[in-house]
Amino acid sequence: MSKNVNSTQFRTVDVDAYDEDNYEDDARETGDSGAAEVTERANQVRGLLNQLKTKEALKMALKNPPVGNKDASVKEQNYETVVSVLKSFKAADIDAAVADLDMVEIDILMKYLYKGFTCSPDKAASLLQWHEKVVAKGGLGSIVRVMVDRKGI
Amino acid sequence: DRNAYVWNYQEQDGYWKPCLVLLRINRAATFVRWSPLEDRFAVGSGARLLSICYFDPEHNWWVSKHIKKPIRSTILCVDWHPSNHLVAIGSCDFKCRVFCSALKELGDKPQTSNWMPKLNKFGTLLAEFDTNNGWVHGVQFSPSGNQLAWVAHDSSVNVVNSANLTKVHTVLTSNLPYSCLLWMSESSFAAAGFNYCPDLYTVTADGVTFTAKMDVKKEKSGGGAAMSAMARFQKLDVQGQSETGGTTVDTTHENCITEIRALSRNPATGAVSKFSTSGKDGRLVIWNFDALSSSLGGLKI
Repeated sequence: MSKNVNSTQFRTVDVDAYDEDNYEDDARETGDSGAAEVTERANQVRGLLNQLKTKEALKMALKNPPVGNKDASVKEQNYETVVSVLKSFKAADIDAAVADLDMVEIDILMKYLYKGFTCSPDKAASLLQWHEKVVAKGGLGSIVRVMVDRKGI
Repeated sequence: DRNAYVWNYQEQDGYWKPCLVLLRINRAATFVRWSPLEDRFAVGSGARLLSICYFDPEHNWWVSKHIKKPIRSTILCVDWHPSNHLVAIGSCDFKCRVFCSALKELGDKPQTSNWMPKLNKFGTLLAEFDTNNGWVHGVQFSPSGNQLAWVAHDSSVNVVNSANLTKVHTVLTSNLPYSCLLWMSESSFAAAGFNYCPDLYTVTADGVTFTAKMDVKKEKSGGGAAMSAMARFQKLDVQGQSETGGTTVDTTHENCITEIRALSRNPATGAVSKFSTSGKDGRLVIWNFDALSSSLGGLKI
């Protein structure tokens, strides 16, 4: 019997941290939203929703997501904005709204849908309705881009 | 085994004799390509470096020179520029790069071009393109060498023209990612991958557009909808399915296509007339591009 039989502490060591060749993402400054812009956008979106301009609200909510931001609360806030827009849509209007979006916005919307699946699984039914329509337009490629995304929306 | 072998055909004895090339890498080699003039070859590896190997007649030995900076992850694909002096690589650090690989030892006299505005030495990084999130699976220079196209794992297709290196034309496709591509002519290329089907793309000054899927769906004998009652009951009994479809694929390849190579070219225009694809389903399929273009309705390349 070897000496170190009882302790399995070594299994909790993070080997990658000691690997000097380990790949690290570039921490680059990107032109994404900061906290101020996200709050500003939330107000604008709320205004548009009060006026029942749901399509414009959706486009505004999907603009410039805070991808590079290290502050989780900023991302959370933007996510809430998007969810509030999605909730305000009637099932019949989803088609028209999705048809209006271009490929970049489709990708961003898809990322928020998947974030919704993880964060609020109780709302999954309505999110799935959106998912079906977005896949009809964006195809499997938009789902692949959600999986491949490293920075997280 | 982290080595490369060069096989020379022995005329008198009628067999291929291998010659070892020490690459001096500490991870596996992933990709290899002879240069256009076939005097050297490039090997991409998991050791995050590119080895350019050439034959040294004094020592009767293949020598390898490394290009290491600033590659940060496994190299997945390599392509030579037609001039023999530039090499493009796609790697797992989500970037596509172009390096100068002119070797003084072999008496290279590189010319300046759009890719290389001033003469650089071996291993200089000439251009770097970011694909945001996807590993670059396939990269290729166009037949003239002026354009560079690459396909990445985020289902995107990118083309850049050396006249304007800052403007990269990207198409975010709605398919599964491609794993390989082949330029058919100066203005169009075919890409194939996890979709099981080669797709044709056209390149113009404004950008890249998807033109056509090249796998024309076969007509299934018996038709999809007209299933006899007997067949339907049988299917229900044996497989538990009450409807047609579901398990069969209607493309020629039944699994991911991993490699696409030109087979023959039109002698007048230099455009590809036949190409072959091979995939994970173990099939090697030869496509007659000229016949396809007529049946797909006047595709011009």
